[in-house]
Amino acid sequence: MISRFQAEIATALATLAFGLVIVNGAREFGIGWDSSGPQPGAFPFYCGLLIALASAGTIATTIGRRMGGSAALAGIFLDREQGKRVLAFFLPMLGFIVLTVTLGMYVAMLLYLVFAMRFQGRYGWLPSLATAFGTAAFFYFGLEKFAQVGLLKGPVEAMLGL
Amino acid sequence: MENFASLLHGFQIALTTHHVALMMAGVLLGILVGVLPGLGAPNGVSLMLPLTFSMDPVSAIILLTSLYWGALFGGSTTSILFNIPGEPSSVATTFDGHPMAKQGRATEALSFAFLSAGFGAMAGVILITLLSGWVARFALKFSSPEYFAVYFMTFASFVGLGGASPFKTIVSMAMGFAFASIGMDSVSGNVRLTYEFDVLLAGVSFLIAVIGLFGIGELLQTMEEGLRFEGVKAKVSPRDVLATALKLPRYWLALLRSSIIGIWMGITPGGPTAASFMSYAMAKRSSRNPEKFGKGEPEGVISPETADHAAGSSAMLPMLALGIPGSATAAVMMGGLMIWGLNPGPMLFVERPDFVWGLIASMYLGNVVAVIVVLATVPLFASILRIPFSIIGPAIVVVCFIGAYTVGNKAFDIWLALAFGIVGYLFKKLDYPIAPLVLAMVIGDKAEDAFRQSMIFSQGSLSIFWSNPLVASLMAIGLALLLFPLIGSTRRGIRKLVTARAAKA
Repeated sequence: MISRFQAEIATALATLAFGLVIVNGAREFGIGWDSSGPQPGAFPFYCGLLIALASAGTIATTIGRRMGGSAALAGIFLDREQGKRVLAFFLPMLGFIVLTVTLGMYVAMLLYLVFAMRFQGRYGWLPSLATAFGTAAFFYFGLEKFAQVGLLKGPVEAMLGL
Repeated sequence: MENFASLLHGFQIALTTHHVALMMAGVLLGILVGVLPGLGAPNGVSLMLPLTFSMDPVSAIILLTSLYWGALFGGSTTSILFNIPGEPSSVATTFDGHPMAKQGRATEALSFAFLSAGFGAMAGVILITLLSGWVARFALKFSSPEYFAVYFMTFASFVGLGGASPFKTIVSMAMGFAFASIGMDSVSGNVRLTYEFDVLLAGVSFLIAVIGLFGIGELLQTMEEGLRFEGVKAKVSPRDVLATALKLPRYWLALLRSSIIGIWMGITPGGPTAASFMSYAMAKRSSRNPEKFGKGEPEGVISPETADHAAGSSAMLPMLALGIPGSATAAVMMGGLMIWGLNPGPMLFVERPDFVWGLIASMYLGNVVAVIVVLATVPLFASILRIPFSIIGPAIVVVCFIGAYTVGNKAFDIWLALAFGIVGYLFKKLDYPIAPLVLAMVIGDKAEDAFRQSMIFSQGSLSIFWSNPLVASLMAIGLALLLFPLIGSTRRGIRKLVTARAAKA
């Protein structure tokens, strides 16, 4: 279980870190002022600084409100049940992406849809396979043939000569 | 009169079979996108955008704006029938729309929603017709300092009037600017902030951000809530629609008031969501029987819907005339304009009047088409939501990542979209506003260029932003907007201190 307070602080720390990465990256190009105005690094530098400062502001106000006994902050951000539901959706999605970059998008799409329908939605094999192949065919003809837009392809597509 | 002649010419462009067919297609896709959770207007437009790269810009913008109208209508449908807002801007419609549907008045609620939405959209479009030429002519006087001042004003109003914590708004906005500055710098030619990753050379596309933040982020949130669709069945017969239409004039005051609120929030970057809530609150406050609100009061459907659509359509005015989008969706469209090689802003009216007036005319037609199409297809789209989420959810995921890949044909963008999805989920749950991030990504480069060009004019002196009355007053308004919440919170702080002391004494 994650409390709202923990989530607020963790997110603000992450944005703070992001701000510092930008600040550090911008320093390379000069952050000062010359006769033609700001040097190339100045704009990102101040953006990064702004992110870092505003994140620090969020952290400070959050801690301040926590000490003031804010009920909203003590509340639950994510309980076990919700966390399970999010992961049950997120992990297959992650799997889909890994398969996409390794095996190509069409194969990944097939496996992902079959997995979600057969094992998460508890459909039979036939409707699962039919829906997955139907969807893949729909995208193949709609994108590659009709709109002339190619998707990421892997070894299987190459083998089939698509 | 000049505008009227241009508008007639625009109708000649918009009223071809090809374009009307595109409008129908756009509206249908839009309703689909609006009905499905996780897909909203901004990322519907983002997903379609790569498919329009090879189209003629006039046809492309007609398709995308029609998709936008459709999405706004689709969002209201699910609000009323399922108590699930398909779009953030139709949350306020659930308050009275769903109770009406449960009382067996679904048709009435839907007809009220669509007709008043159409009215609001028309009010917005009429305003655009009347004002856009004038605003563009005024803006032709602008040079870099004025442009920077207008950008500054836009972002200041997000911080000052946004309603979210100012710190969070600033984080979200500055992150957008930072993402926009990754890659090639157009002024100096340096490659910035890539940390030697070649994939970042071309920068981070705002389309990826929209697909991740709005699409994946929203899906994760939907899953967490363990979504169940328990809808009310609806069949829309032409006779019921007509009967409701005849009742509509009785609510003329609500229609008028909501249109004004919507137009105002659309032109300033308040956006449709804020407009619909504000309009609902105003309707409730000024009503003679406020206790009926929340229990199925037609005015509680009419007010947010009118304002939502008035804001949605009038958000196109600052985008066209100034090059500043009034909502996240308008920001995506503006990015599209730039990709098609058009330069949004006052010069567009001079260089491509056919595009501008064709678009404005298509907004009249598109909204009429949308009202008719949505009334005819409500049962069809409502049945889509009865398909279990274990099929719809993964299908939406596939669509989102296909969209992310087609933006630049890069596998890296797929990972980036996932990262933005996680950010979007966290930001939404923690009340960080997302629209400023998208807006900053789209106009980040333009804002930076405007600033640096001003600095080149003035040889590095900031005084150029106070050098003439126009730019000075724009900057002053911006500063006032920025400091607005600060003044409010110090006042409250002082008052708290005073009452605390009084309590002690």
